[in-house]
Formats: sequence, C-alpha cells, structure tokens
Amino acid sequence: MGHDHRRPLQREGVLFFGDVIAGLSHELSNVFNIINEIAGLQEDIVGGAHPKGADAADRLSELAGRIKAQVERGETFNQFLHSLAHSVDDDDIAFDLGDTLDLAGSLAARPARLARVELVVHRPESPVTLVGDPFALLLTIFGLIGVVLDAADSERRVEVSAAPHGNGARLFVTSADPLPPGVVDEVAALETGRLTWGVVHTLDPQPPEAPRRIILDVPAVAPALKATTDEEGQEDPDGN
Amino acid sequence: MATDRVLLVDDEKDFVEVLAERMSSRGLEVTCATSGREAISAVEEETFDAVLLDLAMPDLDGLETLRRLHEIQPELQVMILSGRATVKTAVEAIRLGATDIFEKPTDVETLVERIRSARAIRIAHEDDMAEEHIEEILRKRGW
Repeated sequence: MGHDHRRPLQREGVLFFGDVIAGLSHELSNVFNIINEIAGLQEDIVGGAHPKGADAADRLSELAGRIKAQVERGETFNQFLHSLAHSVDDDDIAFDLGDTLDLAGSLAARPARLARVELVVHRPESPVTLVGDPFALLLTIFGLIGVVLDAADSERRVEVSAAPHGNGARLFVTSADPLPPGVVDEVAALETGRLTWGVVHTLDPQPPEAPRRIILDVPAVAPALKATTDEEGQEDPDGN
Repeated sequence: MATDRVLLVDDEKDFVEVLAERMSSRGLEVTCATSGREAISAVEEETFDAVLLDLAMPDLDGLETLRRLHEIQPELQVMILSGRATVKTAVEAIRLGATDIFEKPTDVETLVERIRSARAIRIAHEDDMAEEHIEEILRKRGW
C-alpha cells in the first residue's frame, strides 16, 4: 500500500489544533482571572475591606467597564475558536483568501506577542477567491508565520500580505531583518502546502544572500489530494 | 510595624493592577512589573519579602526570570502564580527555588497570608546571616 499524502496534513493538523487551542485557552483563562480579581475588588469595596471613600459608585462603575472590556476580549478569542473549528468543515470549497489570512494572523497573535514580534497582516486589496481546502492553506500560512517568528529577533516586525497573481494568489511573509540561513530548511520542511495546494515557496533574496521574505504562490484551484505512492514515488512491492 | 513588601510580576497589566490594589488595601506594599526584565530591575534596586511570578510571559518567561532573580538574590522568596502550570514546569520551578506554586485563581487572603510568612522567613534568614557574621568576627578575633 502506498504512502497516504493526507497523513502529514492530519498529523500536522492535530498538532496545530493542540497548539492553537492551548494558546487560546490560556488567553481565555487570563480573561477569567482578570474578571475574577475585579469582582473581588468590587466585593472589597462593597464589603468594607477597601477604603472606598466618597466615590465608591464611580469606582464600581469604572470596574464594571473593565469587566465589559474583558468580556469583549474573551468573545474575540471565542470567535477565533469558532472560526478555527469550522475551518475543517469542507475540504473543497470556494473561500476568500483574506479571511484565511486574517484567521492565521489572529491565531498567530499570541505566539508573536510571546516572541515580542509585531505581527501585521494585510488583507488583499480586493477579494481573492480560491477553491480547495481552506484548513490546509490556513495550516500552511500559520506554519510560514511560525518559521519567520522563530527566526525573527525580538522587537521586530513581521508582515503578512497577499495579492492576486495569475489565476491564483501570491503571499508574502516579510521580516524587517534578514532571516538566518536555517530558515531555508525550515521552509523546505513545510510539506502541507506543497502536498495539498501545490504551492511553491521562494525565498527573497535567494541564498546565499540572507532572505528577508518568503513568497508563496498559491493556485486558484487546489489539485485534488491523492493517496498514491510512497515518498519516492515507488509502489511497495510487498503490498504493505 | 514594617510593611510586607511584595513584587507582582505578570504581563497582564489589568491583572497586576487590580490584584495590587486588593493587596494594598490589606496592608501590603506592592510593586508591579509586567515583564521579567522589569522584575529583575526592581529586585536589583529594592528589597522584597516575596515575589509573585507568572510563568507565561513574553521575552523572558517565568522560569528564566526566576533563575535570574535567584542569581541576584539567592534567598529571595519567589512564588509562582500561574494560570496553567504543567507538572513539568512546576517541578522545574521548584528545582529553581520557587517556594510555592499557586494556580489562578487563588484567593487573595491565601496569597497575603503566604507573603506575610515569607517576610518572617526572610527576617529569620537575615538573623541567621547576622549571627553567622558575628560568630565569624568573634572567631577571627579569638574571643
């Protein structure tokens, strides 16, 4: 039996889900912890454990505003979870690349913040419709952002953008500073985009010069996923 | 009576601000830091009875901050206050000298009580150090 090209996607997809959900769970915990402390402070003020002074009502109102801000923040994380969960609903649909870019950027916001890298995502100026598996493309873009985040120095800026190109799209993940040589191997190891979308990665400038950006050419329509031969393109003679 | 001094370290600004206010209203003197580097600067400049330290922070994470704080002040009482400490990070924190691990949310009274104990431990440690120092002087002078 040949090598199933879906396997890297499935394994990488599960790891991606685990990683992103752990991060969003942490963000939601932060929201709950802040609300919990604000509620505690309100109890302190009402119960007399806090020197409330004459402006207790104003203070309670200000704290209520902080709670609302945290609820809004939590709802944003919840929307990311919702979008992520539904990104696997269909693996052969027409979708807007801008939405996938936005979601990838939102999900990468926490890793970027922890790496102290400013991550900026620009949607294409006009809608770019692609047909294929949006989750596989999300995984590919997230993987690329991850490679550049890992390689970029703290306090730097990383930008993600896209534009129509031929019948498909061209994506750019750009670092403000030259990326280290190891990024070449990291990009080469990103199999999902190549296997599921037939994407082509290009480094700019090309090695041996230190690249500053990764360019990703994505076709308008993803080639069908095939479960055919093993990685060398050879059938297993034993049929295993 | 001297005030118990605590350094709160967490990258969530709202969290440290509100917790600091609650601790202050209970008689603690609280300094806030929103990064590991800020915490290190604060410990280099001031004396604290205890540090309450988050683990997941940008740039310098909690474990690395803990390690550096103990390089500056080995006897510093550092307690971890974290949302999601895994067993692995908890073990590593204890190995690096953390005295307690609290999982958020933790009742403020529990934290205040523990910080007050930390002050007693620090004073006892200073007394031990002073005693050793005096004994050393006496020994050197042959008294």
